[in-house]
Amino acid sequence: MSVITEATKPGQARTAPNANRLVSTRAGGKLVKDYWDNLFTARDRGATVVWYNGAAINPILQAAGVEWCHGEAFGARLAAMHLEQPAQLAGEAYGYINELCSYARTTLGCALLTKQEATAKIEMDGLPGVPDKEVLASRLPPPDLFVNAYAGCSTGQQWDEVSYRVFDKELPFFKVSYPLLWGNRPDAGYLRGEEWDNASKFVASQLHGLIEFLEHQTGNRFDWEGLRESMHYIKRAAQLRIEALELCKARPTPAVFWDWVASIAPINFLPGNQALVDYFAAVKAEIEDRLRDGVSSLPNERYRLAFDGIMNWNKVGWLANKFAEHDAAVVCGRYTHNSFWHEPQLIDEDDPILGMAQHYLLCPFNHSARNLAEQVLRDCETYGIDGIVFHATRTCRSATNGQLLLAKMAQARGMQTMFFEGDVADESFYKDEVLQNRLEAMLETIDVQRGR
Amino acid sequence: MEQSATINGIIADLAQIAADPGRYASGWKARREGRVVGILPMNFPPEIVHAAGALPVLMQEDDAAITYGRSLLHEFYCGYTRSLVDQAATGKLAGYDGLFLVDHCVALLGAVDAVRFELPEMPVYLAQFMASMDEPTTRPQVGEQIAALRQRLGELCGVSISDAAIQHSIAAYNRNRGLLRKVYDLRRRGRIALGSRQMQVLIKSSMVMDVEEHTAILTKLVALFEAYPQVPEGQVRLHLSGHFCHAPRPELLDMIESCGVTVVDDDVFTGYRYIATDVPDGPDPVEALTQWYFDRNSNVPCSTRAQKTVDWEGYLVDSLKGSGAQGVVVLIAKFCEPHMLYYPELRKALHREGIPHLVVETEHEGLALEMLKTRVEALVEGIRRPRIATAQALA
Ligand code: SF4
Ligand code: SF4
Repeated sequence: MSVITEATKPGQARTAPNANRLVSTRAGGKLVKDYWDNLFTARDRGATVVWYNGAAINPILQAAGVEWCHGEAFGARLAAMHLEQPAQLAGEAYGYINELCSYARTTLGCALLTKQEATAKIEMDGLPGVPDKEVLASRLPPPDLFVNAYAGCSTGQQWDEVSYRVFDKELPFFKVSYPLLWGNRPDAGYLRGEEWDNASKFVASQLHGLIEFLEHQTGNRFDWEGLRESMHYIKRAAQLRIEALELCKARPTPAVFWDWVASIAPINFLPGNQALVDYFAAVKAEIEDRLRDGVSSLPNERYRLAFDGIMNWNKVGWLANKFAEHDAAVVCGRYTHNSFWHEPQLIDEDDPILGMAQHYLLCPFNHSARNLAEQVLRDCETYGIDGIVFHATRTCRSATNGQLLLAKMAQARGMQTMFFEGDVADESFYKDEVLQNRLEAMLETIDVQRGR
Repeated sequence: MEQSATINGIIADLAQIAADPGRYASGWKARREGRVVGILPMNFPPEIVHAAGALPVLMQEDDAAITYGRSLLHEFYCGYTRSLVDQAATGKLAGYDGLFLVDHCVALLGAVDAVRFELPEMPVYLAQFMASMDEPTTRPQVGEQIAALRQRLGELCGVSISDAAIQHSIAAYNRNRGLLRKVYDLRRRGRIALGSRQMQVLIKSSMVMDVEEHTAILTKLVALFEAYPQVPEGQVRLHLSGHFCHAPRPELLDMIESCGVTVVDDDVFTGYRYIATDVPDGPDPVEALTQWYFDRNSNVPCSTRAQKTVDWEGYLVDSLKGSGAQGVVVLIAKFCEPHMLYYPELRKALHREGIPHLVVETEHEGLALEMLKTRVEALVEGIRRPRIATAQALA
C-alpha cells in the first residue's frame, strides 16, 4: 500500500486525502489561547494562582476564587505547538533523564524557568540558549498553592512533590489520592461493585478536605452556588459532547478521533460557563450538518479504527493525515471517549461532589486491564471498529499499562491490533517508519479478513 | 581463619537460598504443609502473612533473559517488573499460592495486572496503601487495607488471624531486623570486612526465608562477627543509594569494591531500607503495622511516597556523616520513574554539600562493567586526590 491510495480513473492516481477536520473546533483553540493569555497576567491582576495536576478539579478552584494552571495541559500545549524544547532542556540541565515521563519533565522544566524568572536561583548545568521572557515555556505565573489530584499514575502524584521542592517547600500543598480501580472482588467492574462505591466516597471526602484547605489558604468563603452553576454548564457541555461522539457511529463517520483531541482542552480545564456549552453545541451542530449533507471526515473511509493510549502531542496533525492517507478513520479512542466528564449522568447538579469524585476516579489510566477492556471493547463494538492502534507511549507507563493484555483480548474477539512507538511530549521517541509499516500490515490483514 | 571459613560457609548457604527462593519455598511447603505467599515490594508487612501461618516470600528479580513476558509488558518497564511478568509467563510462579501487594508504583501495578491476566487461577490481591503521607485521610485508609489483608489472607490460609498471632510475628520480624541492623552497625564502624555481595545475601535471604530459621542463622553469624572483627581493606568509603524493589547485580557490587572501595552503608531496598524500621509496640497490631508504614518513610525516606515533611536527600547527607562515607554511588534501575523523578533533588543536595557522586543506571539485560569501572575509578580518584580532580574539572 502506498500513500497514493487509489486510482479515481484507471491509470490516474489520486492525491492522498487529508483529514477533513471539523471547523467548529477552531473556536476551542481561541478559547484555550485566551484562557492561557489571561492566566499569564494573573500575578499582575493580583490573583491567587494554583498549580495543579491530574483530574479536572478546576470547577472547585473556580468556586474557591482562584486561578488555575493545569501543568499537564500546559506541557501538552507546548508540545502541540512544538515549543517544548526550552522546558525540556531546562529539565535536562536540572538532571532529568529522558526516560522520565515527558509531561512531568516538560512541566517541571517550565517550573524551573518560571522560578528562574522570579528569583534567578536555580541550579542547572550550563543551559544552552536559556530562553527569555518571550518564550512561552517561561511565562507561567508562579504558583501560590499546589494541588495534586492525579489518579492512576504514581508519577503524576510524585511530580508535584518535586514541584513543591523546586519552589523551596514554602508553598501550601494539598493532595487528593485515589485507589486504582483494580477489582479484587468478583462484583467489581466498570461503575459497579463495592470497591467502586467505597472509592467514590473516599475521594469525595477528600474533595471536601480540599475545599476546606482552599478556604483556609485564600480566606475566601467557598462559593457552593458557583460550583453548582459551573457543574450545570459542564454537565450540559459533556452531554453535548457525548451526543456528538455518538453521531459518529454513522458510516462514513462525520468526525474522527483527531477532532475530539482538539476538544480535550476545553472540556478539561476551561471554566464551566455558557461559552463552554456553546462550543460543544457548535461541534455537535456541525456534525449534524455533515450527516445531513453527506459530508464525511475522510473522502474514502475504508477502515474504522480505535486509538488507544495517551495522545502524542507533537504529532496530532501528522497522525491525522497519516491515517487519512490510508483511508483509515480513527473513530474512537480511550483518551477521548473514556475520559473528561464522559458519564455526565453521574453528576447531581445540586450536590455535585460525589459525581465529580467519580469522574476523577474514571481517569482512563486508573483502571485494571479487565476494566479497561470492558470499556474499550464495548466502544469498538458500538463504533464498528476493525482494528485498534496502540500508541506505546515510551515515557507514560500509566497509559501503556494493560495495553498488551487489551490487545490480546481484542484479538480473541477477531479484531486486528497494532502498536507504534511514540511519546506524549518527546518527539524523539516517535518512529514514523514503524507506524507506516505496521499500519499498512494491519490494514492489509483487515482486507484479507474481509475477503474471506 | 577457621572462623572466617565458618562465616563464609554460612553466607554461602544463605546465598544459595537467595539465588533460588522458589526452591526454598517448595522445600518449606513440603516440610511445613503451609501456604507460600508472594509479596511485592516495598511496603508490604510480611508479618501479616506470617501470622496466617504462611511463608511470605518477597518476590525477587531473577537472572533469566526476558522471553514470553515481552508479550505482556512493554520493554520500557524496569527490570524488576519485566522479570516478574516473565517469571509468571514461564511457569516459575507455580509454587505460589497467591500474590499480594500494597504499593502504588505505576509500573508495578501494570506488571501485577499482567501476572493476574497470565495466571487467572492465582489469587492476586491489591490492598493499595495511599502514597501520600500528609493527608489525615491516609492513616485510616491504610488501617482499613491492613484489616482487609488480614481478612483475605485468613481466607486463603483457612485460619482466623488473631491479634496474638500478629504480635508474635511482629516480634519475630523485629528480632530479625534488629540483628541485620547490628551487622550494618559493625560495617559502618569498620569492625567487619563484609562485602556488598555478602551483605546483599543476608538481606535477600531474610526476604525469602522463614523468619525464625533466618534469625537462628543470623544469631550465630552476628556472634562470630562480634567475636572476630576484621578490618576492611578498601581505602575509599562509599555509600550505595537507591535501587528500589530489587537487588543490584552482585557483579556490579564486586566491580565497585574492586576499585579500592569499601561500601560502608547504603539505602538500597535490598539493603538498609528494608530493615531500617521496626514495627512499634502497641496493643493493636493493625495500628502498629499502620504506624510502621509511616515510620519507614520517616526513617529512610523514599521517593515512591509523597510526604512534604521528609527528604531523602537530607537523610542521605546525614547518614554519610554518620558512616563517614566519602562519596555516593547512586544506582538507578533503568525506567524507574520515582527514582528518575527525584534524582535531581539528591544531586542538588550532594552538590551543595560537596559530596562526590556517580550515577549508574542498571538494566535487567546486563551491564557494561568495564565502562562503568572507568567511571567508578574516576570517582575514587577524585575522592583520593580532590585537589587534582578539582583542577581537572576547572581546566
Ligand atoms: S507517566 Fe503518563 S499518566 Fe503518569 S504523570 Fe506522566 S503523562 Fe501522566
Ligand atoms: S519503584 Fe522503580 S523499581 Fe520498583 S517497580 Fe516501580 S519502577 Fe520498578
